[in-house]
Amino acid sequence: MKRRMLKWIRNLALLAYAAFALFPLLWMLIISFKHDREMYHTIFLFSPTLENYRVLFEKGDYIGYFLNNLWVSAGAVILSIVVGVPAAYALARFKFRGRESIAFTFLSFRFAPEIMVILPLFLIYQRFGLYDTYLGIIWVYQLLTLPLIIWVLRGYFEEIPPEIEYAARLDGYSWFRVFLKTLVPLIKPGLVASALLSFIFAWNSFTFPLLLAGQNVVTTTVAALQYLSSDTVHYGQMAAAVTISILPEVLLALFIQKHLVRGLSFGAVKG
Amino acid sequence: MGDLWIRGVSKRFDRVLALDDVDLQVNNREFFVLFGPTGAGKTTLLNVIAGIHIPDRGHVYLNGRPVDHLEPNERDVAMVFENYALYPHLNVFENIASPLYSPRYRQPKEVVRQEVMRIARLLDIDALLERFPAELSNGQRQRVALGRALIRRPEVFLMDEPLVHLDAKLRHQMRAELKEIQSQSLDTTTIYVTHDYREALSLGDRIAVISRGRIEQVGTPEEVYHRPASEFVAKAFGDPEMNVVEGELIEDSGRMYLDLFGQPRHFPVPGDLRNILDHHSSRAVRVGFRSKQIRFYPEDPEGKWLAGRVYSFEPLGATAILIVKVGDHSFRLRVSSEQSWEIDQPIHLAFDMDRAFFFSASTGKLLARSEERKGDVPWPS
Repeated sequence: MKRRMLKWIRNLALLAYAAFALFPLLWMLIISFKHDREMYHTIFLFSPTLENYRVLFEKGDYIGYFLNNLWVSAGAVILSIVVGVPAAYALARFKFRGRESIAFTFLSFRFAPEIMVILPLFLIYQRFGLYDTYLGIIWVYQLLTLPLIIWVLRGYFEEIPPEIEYAARLDGYSWFRVFLKTLVPLIKPGLVASALLSFIFAWNSFTFPLLLAGQNVVTTTVAALQYLSSDTVHYGQMAAAVTISILPEVLLALFIQKHLVRGLSFGAVKG
Repeated sequence: MGDLWIRGVSKRFDRVLALDDVDLQVNNREFFVLFGPTGAGKTTLLNVIAGIHIPDRGHVYLNGRPVDHLEPNERDVAMVFENYALYPHLNVFENIASPLYSPRYRQPKEVVRQEVMRIARLLDIDALLERFPAELSNGQRQRVALGRALIRRPEVFLMDEPLVHLDAKLRHQMRAELKEIQSQSLDTTTIYVTHDYREALSLGDRIAVISRGRIEQVGTPEEVYHRPASEFVAKAFGDPEMNVVEGELIEDSGRMYLDLFGQPRHFPVPGDLRNILDHHSSRAVRVGFRSKQIRFYPEDPEGKWLAGRVYSFEPLGATAILIVKVGDHSFRLRVSSEQSWEIDQPIHLAFDMDRAFFFSASTGKLLARSEERKGDVPWPS
């Protein structure tokens, strides 16, 4: 009896949380289909319209912002993987002086709020010609994506017994092949999860592209500001823009879900 | 198909000297056992041979050629790891076939299939080929790990305690199977690491006893058992371990006696050892008796034997371990469990001095042993 009560309470709590978490998204979706004149009525009955979406795509520049965001986010994640996977391996496997300090330094990228480091970064970017370039934004996104990938994958590499590597070497594979054929499949769940999370961080980043990019590299997050004009706020268009901009994240998460399985490394060694 | 020489190999990990100037020569087609306690450096030595660790000093030669500069994948050695080290993302078939897919040992697909089937049948895992390592029992994983090594025809097989994680019954069965495989289809040099003296004695053509990174003795099972080079080796083989006591050599009316517990007349030194012991610089020696060399009686009407008291009696099925205290010293004896002993019961010990082992008190090296009599082989073969 008591257990059933507890179960009920737990489910109710979960339901309440789900509503709390999902309602804003639902509200955003509803707004994106409303006319501006119905915007301030908190009623669920309205005449739906695609007007907001039409305006969004008619001007055409939104697609450009969207692609910009895709390039810089994907570029940042790919660069982080290329750099971070070997770094994570080295931090997990090799003993060298200052290993923990280096690992901690990577983590410390995330300590300071973005707004605190933005001014020096802005000056540096101006000086080096990185301001308002794709490379510059991808570069600064490493602060968001690299620590995550390194720290998640380091744990995965540490879990793989070195004997598996040795065994593969003795089977006649070079180190690089062992890395690609044996180690990468074993860290894949971690790689997929951390890459997805990094992508979301990069995709949703606002401060960096707002202040370190100008007209060339406008991302969707920054573009959303355009709907705040001096006299009015175009909530409908804003909601439509945001709705479209979360689509890649949702699609990626759905596609990647089946790779997010843990426990692949069990059974490698004595149990 | 390989002679393996190890010359002066030393390896240090931080402050631990794992291997200290190791010299070994392993002959072609030999089943060579590396035996020693945990942490003695056995695995490190295997890893040096495999090229996983690079020795600080010394060289490894395969068929007379140095292989120090070769990467593990270029050395043509196969290894079975203590923890099996299977590839968790590959099934049993792919695990066993892995060497034959590699750039170095690549075989045509059909050959790979046939070979995997042959090995799987040999190891009795042909029904498990589709399974993943996580779905196997420890005994099955161990066989897969063995299969991944056996599918190749390397110069040298390295086996690192492959049976240690199996339960006792399975271990026994696998030991017999391994011996069978070794004699029938494995005419390759094999180096087998173990800390189980029974495994060492039953499998090895020769045994190298290693302790704290140093080789204590290399010899056939008979040699290491009957003529141990040191007290360490003598104690390592046999259960219960050899009883070693410290005593002093004395002369009495032209004969040499050993003064143990102040009762030298119980311990006459055999005549043929006298010469050797006379030349030893010190009078203090350590003397070892295996359990079989100590007889025991509940009564001693003529006062011929050494008196002691039963300290504990631990039945283990057909046999039992009896611990006898004489003064402060305890003797461990393997006895029949049919006769039971009471704690503190008086007991009288008779020592077979003709089979005693005399060790130097300072270095622990074997000084002398009377002409050994064969026939007290302690292991089933």
